[in-house]
Amino acid sequence: MNFSVVTSQFWALCLQGLALGLIYSLISLGYTMVYGVLRLINFANSEVFMVGTFSILFIQVSVLGHAVNVEPIHGIQLIGALLLSLVGAMLVCALLAMLVELVAYRRLRAHGSNRLASLISAIGTSIFLSESFRIFTHSRPQTSPRLLEKWTFGEIAGANFRIDTVMAIIASIIIFFALDQFVNRSRLGAAIRAVSMSEENSRLMGINLNRVVTLTFAIGGLTTGAAAFFYTTIYENTQFNVGFNLGIAAFTAAVLGGIGNLRGAFYGGLALGLLEQFASAILGSQWKAVTVFLVLVLVLLIKPSGIFGEAVQQTRT
Amino acid sequence: MNKNSKRVLAVVAASALALGTVVTSQANAAVKEVTLMFQGPLTGGDAQLGQDQIPGAIFAIAEYNATNPKVKIKLEKADSQCDGTVAANIAPGVAANKKVIGVIGTSCSGEARNSFPSYIAAGLTMVSPSATAVGLTDPKAPDRGYPIFHRVLANDKFQAPALVKVGAKGVTSPKFYIVDDLTTYGAGLALYAMPAAKKAGTIVGTDSVTKGTADYSSVSTKVKASGANVVLYAGYTQDGAKFVKSLRDSGYTGVIAAGDGVNTSDLPGLTGKAGEGLRLVAPDVPFDLLVTKEKLASFTKITGVKVPGLYVTSTYDAANVYIACIKQGKLTRAGIQSCVAQGTFNGVSGGKIKFDRYGDIIGGAPVGEFVVNGDKIDYVGIA
Repeated sequence: MNFSVVTSQFWALCLQGLALGLIYSLISLGYTMVYGVLRLINFANSEVFMVGTFSILFIQVSVLGHAVNVEPIHGIQLIGALLLSLVGAMLVCALLAMLVELVAYRRLRAHGSNRLASLISAIGTSIFLSESFRIFTHSRPQTSPRLLEKWTFGEIAGANFRIDTVMAIIASIIIFFALDQFVNRSRLGAAIRAVSMSEENSRLMGINLNRVVTLTFAIGGLTTGAAAFFYTTIYENTQFNVGFNLGIAAFTAAVLGGIGNLRGAFYGGLALGLLEQFASAILGSQWKAVTVFLVLVLVLLIKPSGIFGEAVQQTRT
Repeated sequence: MNKNSKRVLAVVAASALALGTVVTSQANAAVKEVTLMFQGPLTGGDAQLGQDQIPGAIFAIAEYNATNPKVKIKLEKADSQCDGTVAANIAPGVAANKKVIGVIGTSCSGEARNSFPSYIAAGLTMVSPSATAVGLTDPKAPDRGYPIFHRVLANDKFQAPALVKVGAKGVTSPKFYIVDDLTTYGAGLALYAMPAAKKAGTIVGTDSVTKGTADYSSVSTKVKASGANVVLYAGYTQDGAKFVKSLRDSGYTGVIAAGDGVNTSDLPGLTGKAGEGLRLVAPDVPFDLLVTKEKLASFTKITGVKVPGLYVTSTYDAANVYIACIKQGKLTRAGIQSCVAQGTFNGVSGGKIKFDRYGDIIGGAPVGEFVVNGDKIDYVGIA
């Protein structure tokens, strides 16, 4: 065990843990939104993330014409490229998530199929997407261009405030609070919350169930697309199976926080990111997964509904 | 047509038929064919390792087949993606294919270890161009490849000290941080690097990061906090590239050196500028430095590869070990096994290749030093 690195690099580990944790949070919002409404785990969300990372590559290389080994760009060109990548990835992921709902869930719901059928359908969609990209890329990792030069604002107490990390943290927090406000204050958000409490009663109140479900998938896709953008900006790589490990981590974060609970997913992701960083630093990187899942099991033993509690209660205002 | 004419015609027809039969059977004998299997990563994150190697086998077999031998060789490919699990799944199929009399491979040590059960049971010989884990030929290891496994290059007992030496070159008071990827190859190379690193300087930290990890920021932070000035990485390209980028992005400015798992031609593209100056080793000498211009031109013509990648030399040698045995008329798995185990073969470097009882090359083999220079990897010399 190495505690000295924690004392000397505490803030550096916190900063990195926050950045990674917020990426988990944004993906886990995709899981938790769908679970909150349908009581189903959308396992295809990890592949929505994967497609998001590839869409960024497509935008930056094929649309904007930046070679993989391009020199970083600056000024308005940089802002434009980053905004286009972010918005493009969010839209691609939202559209894909809506398509997943239409193809993998809607007919099953309409026919009153049991949840197991939907679960298998989601896993099938996930495998279809992942394998399609595996064939398309010959399983080879892809590198994205470094458009953003990774300069630092400065080093405070050993923590390197690098532009990509800071940007991911601030933007992710803004996206989360915007979503939280939307769900808790808007009419559409109220409809989502109503459906999450009772499908039947919502229908009786005149809420268009299909519309709400599609909207929920779209919102989950938007946050997952944002996660894909921040992931690609920080790590500059992707692969057909990039969603697998991150998807498991995000799902774990959602369960840790309380699946179906927006704030639970957000703070669960943060907790997981920090836990991974500190476990790696103290025990060694090989113990990261063991520690994370040990903590998850312990939390669920003490509080089976997760840190923030059950979905229905939590999606209420 | 009179009776005599008919008789002559019948004799001519019968003779022609007989001659035709003889010619056909001779032709059948002439097209006798055996199959060698190249096994390694052809797709997947580490595909470049196999893609760099396979031209060596293609060229050796094309050279041999061009001599119009009585027994032609066909090369087939088995893609085990540098993944032990994939190898364990495909090895039974390769072993069941009776046409295959030998395996050129595997490229990775984990692939080799997981293929052993099938190939040992089938008596199918392996000659690897790049699987360097010590345990594969360790008489005491329960999962060794005896008696079917052989390799035409030095193992990690030789590569690990060379890695330390190359990493520490020009560094006063080297402080090593050693990171591996927990694979058969990576963990073994790191283990064998430790004694040499202790002799050359001090080890200020070690870590093992599972292959496929996305985020290397915590290990980069630990490296920086440790005050290390030489980082040694034992793993494969895909993860090595992520680690190198993370280290440089964290502000680490010291030396980074890595073993042959990272030494693939796609590395500079994956690391970008972060990979500049990265020091690499590999128990290999580039093919283009060992052969004549004419032979290199022939290699390019046959394979379409202008600059031979890493391990073309050893793959060419591995293929030629089988070719020498086939030339001796060893066309069965048993014949190949005894020929490979007992024979002495010519390497492209001019040296002799002979295997010890457990499959290692007797007398060792050179370990080369390489450096990333822009978008290519330059050979520096023997480490």
